Amino acid sequence: MTKIEAVIQPSRFESVKEALIEIGIQGMTVFEVRGHGRQKGHTETYRGREYEVDLLPKIKIEIILADKLVDLTVQTILKAAKTGKIGDGKIFLSKVDEAIRIRNEERGDQAL
Amino acid sequence: MKPSAFATKNAEIKRSNKKSPAAPPQRIAAGQANAARHQRTQSAQRAAEAIISMSLSSPGQQLRETYTAESAKIQQHFDATGDGRAVTEQRAALVDRIAIELFRHHFAQESNQAAKIALVALGGYGRRELFPYSDIDLLFLAADTATEVNLKSATRDFCQALWDMRMRVSPSARALPECAKFKSENPEFNISLLDCRYLAGDENLFNELHQQILPALVSRNRASLRENLAELTRQRHAKYGETVFHLEPNLKNSPGGLRDFHTACWLERISELTGEKQFPAHPGRTSPKLNPEAEQAFDFIAAARCLVHFRQGRDDNALTYELQSVAAELGLGVQLDKSMPPADWMRRYFRHARVIFTLATQLLDAAVPEKSSLADRVGEWKARFSNSPFAISSGRLVVREPATITKDPEQLLSLFEVMARDGLKLSRETEQEVESAAAALATAGPQIPNLWPHLQQILIAPYAADALRSMHAQGVLVRLFPEFAAIDSLVIRDFYHHYTVDAHSFITIENLKDLRSKTTEWERKFADILSELEQPQLLFLALLFHDVGKGMPHDDHIEGSLHAVDEVFPRLGLNPTETESVRYLIANHLEMSANLLRRDIFDPQTIRNFAEKVGTPERLKMLCLFTYADIRAVNPEALTPWKAESLWQLYVSTENYLNRNVDEERVHANQDGREWVERIIPLVSTDANRHELREFLEGLPRRYLLAHSPQEVARHFEMSRRLESSAVELHLESQGHIYELTVLTADRPQLFAGISGTIAAWGMNIWKAEAFANASGIIVDTFHFTDPFRTLELNPSEMDRFKTSITDVLCGTVSLESLMRGRKNLRGPAIAKVPVSTQIRFDDFCSSHSTLMEIATQDHPGLLYQITSVLAQYGCNLEVALIDTEGQRAIDVFYLTLDGAKLGANHQRKLRDLLLAQL
Repeated sequence: MTKIEAVIQPSRFESVKEALIEIGIQGMTVFEVRGHGRQKGHTETYRGREYEVDLLPKIKIEIILADKLVDLTVQTILKAAKTGKIGDGKIFLSKVDEAIRIRNEERGDQAL
Repeated sequence: MKPSAFATKNAEIKRSNKKSPAAPPQRIAAGQANAARHQRTQSAQRAAEAIISMSLSSPGQQLRETYTAESAKIQQHFDATGDGRAVTEQRAALVDRIAIELFRHHFAQESNQAAKIALVALGGYGRRELFPYSDIDLLFLAADTATEVNLKSATRDFCQALWDMRMRVSPSARALPECAKFKSENPEFNISLLDCRYLAGDENLFNELHQQILPALVSRNRASLRENLAELTRQRHAKYGETVFHLEPNLKNSPGGLRDFHTACWLERISELTGEKQFPAHPGRTSPKLNPEAEQAFDFIAAARCLVHFRQGRDDNALTYELQSVAAELGLGVQLDKSMPPADWMRRYFRHARVIFTLATQLLDAAVPEKSSLADRVGEWKARFSNSPFAISSGRLVVREPATITKDPEQLLSLFEVMARDGLKLSRETEQEVESAAAALATAGPQIPNLWPHLQQILIAPYAADALRSMHAQGVLVRLFPEFAAIDSLVIRDFYHHYTVDAHSFITIENLKDLRSKTTEWERKFADILSELEQPQLLFLALLFHDVGKGMPHDDHIEGSLHAVDEVFPRLGLNPTETESVRYLIANHLEMSANLLRRDIFDPQTIRNFAEKVGTPERLKMLCLFTYADIRAVNPEALTPWKAESLWQLYVSTENYLNRNVDEERVHANQDGREWVERIIPLVSTDANRHELREFLEGLPRRYLLAHSPQEVARHFEMSRRLESSAVELHLESQGHIYELTVLTADRPQLFAGISGTIAAWGMNIWKAEAFANASGIIVDTFHFTDPFRTLELNPSEMDRFKTSITDVLCGTVSLESLMRGRKNLRGPAIAKVPVSTQIRFDDFCSSHSTLMEIATQDHPGLLYQITSVLAQYGCNLEVALIDTEGQRAIDVFYLTLDGAKLGANHQRKLRDLLLAQL
């Protein structure tokens, strides 16, 4: 099992979600997050006051899925989230040891 | 079991029937009730007979079987009749028989002790109101502590037997003297005693509790009991957002749920026990003082709760969407087996819940007025209401002469103005009087004199949402605006909205009012925007009607809402500018959140597109606040700090774009100007032609056209035509406590400084201004100022002298210096309330031919004159000026040229030094 964490532009979230549903991804956890990578923030002025916009709003999607689905899912996210501009985000993959469904205690891929 | 015990049990049941606990409680709708009562009594007797006829040697197993079989029959009866009240009574009767039987079995072993203990039903069970999976509250009442201790083992076995039958028992054991003590740390127990009912054992012991100890306890602690009830209710209502209108309500605990009904019953019971010192002659749950509407509401909600229990198989009281559909399909509580749409069924639920909620809160307020706020404000209210047609009684608003609100609709509206202003609630009697007055409104028709002035006062007042809710609950709102009836208790079935559409609309208004007391950083930012609005009443009006279309047969709810407000506007008598603002807000109320979620708000193109749709900073402010209030009213968690910050970011970027691109975005009569010409030409005098109008509009910033209504532009055009015969054209009008001065003249040096200096010399305080020019060099300057010394208000003849003074200064016949000499203290107060440091910023990239200069500094009288004098003396030409004030902070934006070109870095530095020295 693999955990996919994708940090994407909020404006791409709807497209990514629809694309994932289309390939049959059934569950995901979505977080509203703020942060920055190489795309640093900038200074804004508003009515004579300056303020730093150093952490930019992003959406983080977490999906745990069977290993055989990982490539297709990553490709789908890449395609739907890409605008070609700085700040498009990143995808992280990591191994998951076990999954347990609380209701009936199923384990492994069955629990996903 | 021994034969003697069997005989005693039979006698027990007969006595119990005779003394009335088995008889159904009194119902108000008597005709209908008799048949139901007969049916229920029969059903309860059947259960009793089943128990009597069984073998008594091994009660556990057989009682379990009986309980299962009888429970199934109760469910079948419910499936056939949909009568929730009957279910609760039948289950109470069934549990009575089982509990009595088990009591005999377990406590007969302790024969000497049995005489000193009584089995008592408490809470819902005591009221004979036992829902299919509700807890069974039991009290083992012992004569003394020694008995209580001795019978512990029998008590445990008794409870175990019930648990084995899968009944959820909540037992408590108390010695009689203990019950006489008021338990301040356990208010629930004190209250549950109010419903105590004898089941088995020592009846004299129970009678002592019931007839002596309890009435005395209640009499002694009446105030504390009421306060406990009020506190428990307040906490519960707060947990559920203080509103009845949840899309998936909790049938027991939501405001307007069964717990509120019980609260009303308990308050009545406390009053009775205090007055009579004994339980009334008509035992049972229902108090005769509760109104028939509340009884009907109880029946409806009880049926719904039974359905939920049966379907879920546990004590779950959430009326989910799925179960709403089931109830609606069954026609539960309305007409069984006649299905109806779930939304219609929920409307009925909300109407019933509203009845119960109103009843409970009114009784609570009457019993326990909110002391702190009341005491603090009594003096203030006394003074305020001394000559008013309204008065305060027990903290509630009452009408001195009720007939006046029926005869005079304006008086009725004034009542709600007072509610909105002071946060007062109406007394119970006044609510009934208002309902009658509302009924009279229907025959009088919706043509109420001064409807908009009254509604405005309500909308801008701090407690507007509460007043509007009351207007809606008492039927006034739909009489005034029948369009609002479309969303009365309307459910929108999705997983985001928690409230009905009408409740959501009131919450949007409340969200903005609540900004006054908000403390987080981003809440304060939105509060600042609210304080800057020129006409907040238009925003509130738009919020009130923005979702009315959801209850109308339009594909797009916005279309429906616009259709509705178009019907409302003529009745309110709004002017065209106001109408346009409200329509704009409703038509675009989803625009900002759509940009927020579906566009990259850091992309300049997104900002540009959005800014072009919005047009002016004033509209942007209103739209931003609208979006804030609307998202936040979807559910309590909908506006996350993440979303709020993104909304703020979009607002700031768009506001900056609007201010920094004014000079670039200009009207070209042969392109976008054509549309404007066609809109304005019908409004100007007949001898003017399109060519002249095109010439006037050519080169004006587009911001000018968006900030002014077509009527105002037409007036400016007429003024420009008169410039052939006069050097300066002025228009001065008052808008409440603000004056607006419009000046049209040919461009000339020191023009803006001359006007702002003259206004300051007259003692006026400029808080907003704009300076625009067209391609022919005609300037259109608008100044908004206050008159702190009320010179113009108290001396209307001074209006003309003021205008002459400006013309004289602009024409050079009077020197500004001589006028200024008469004014002292133009530097304002020495100590500012909020010190503001001066910031000056230049931007060469906003405009292709001018330099933007933004100054933020401490506001004071004569400030604008000081700044523009420096600019004029330096030789700068003012292409565009946007002057704004935010509290004690002035934020002025100027687009400047020097000798027809941008200012270089050198000039910018010098100008900054000169200005800093001056300010």
